[in-house]
Amino acid sequence: METLLAALEGTALAQALRGSRWGYAALNAAHIFAIALLIGSVVPLNLRLLGVWRGISREAVVRVLAPVAAGGLALALLTGPLLFSVRAREYSDVAFLQLKLIFIAVGILSTLALCWTHGFLLKDAPRARLVGHAIVSTVCWLGALVCGRLIAFAGD
Amino acid sequence: MKRLLFVMVLALGLAAPTVGALAHHGWSWTTGGNIDLTGIIKTVSLGNPHGILKINVEGEEWTAEVGQPWRNERAGLKDGDLAEGVEIRVIGEPAADVSERRVKVERLFLGKREYILYPERD
Repeated sequence: METLLAALEGTALAQALRGSRWGYAALNAAHIFAIALLIGSVVPLNLRLLGVWRGISREAVVRVLAPVAAGGLALALLTGPLLFSVRAREYSDVAFLQLKLIFIAVGILSTLALCWTHGFLLKDAPRARLVGHAIVSTVCWLGALVCGRLIAFAGD
Repeated sequence: MKRLLFVMVLALGLAAPTVGALAHHGWSWTTGGNIDLTGIIKTVSLGNPHGILKINVEGEEWTAEVGQPWRNERAGLKDGDLAEGVEIRVIGEPAADVSERRVKVERLFLGKREYILYPERD
């Protein structure tokens, strides 16, 4: 594992990012943009599943927000590992990062399980199931956000 | 579902006390006054997001935060200047909790030459 992480740090891309001023800053900004898209769409989506904005059809809300959330997640999954590669060995020891990865995994799995049984538009999903998912999803993504930020304040 | 939620909240609570040294961005964690340390560089870890040196100061290990690559370069430091075994004098602000033995470097000396990382600070 240690050798794998060291190899990751040694890749040309990781070395370039470690030494660059604006490239690294741009990567940071891209990661924040991805998180903004993800959280910014997941929170209102989950609020709708919890019963807020009943006047707007659930399907319409899902159609708009779910693809935005997925796009944000995809960009975050692209930019996150690049940020990680700059200090792979150091970051892999940070408890907040490990916890963040658990939150992300549970958040993704919870969504996949829901769509697997009830389809992308969640047409026939029972209310209790939607509420349960919305709670888990909100905890996971907000947890991932907080843990991610705390990486900068932990370890040395 | 409730159990899962409970476990996740618990996990967050357990992770919180593992926060080690608060550091890095800005100067809010430092004392505001300067200290002056001279020692031998033990380990070097330069590059984004932070450059870190471990310095042996009369048997005590200090962690010195130097600049990102652009800041070190602007100060006149070249690749390889900050290397293991080199004697270095650093001047900067220590962490408010001095037992951390962590200093954010404002300027440093290698031999007689001064390298100023933060020209706007004294």
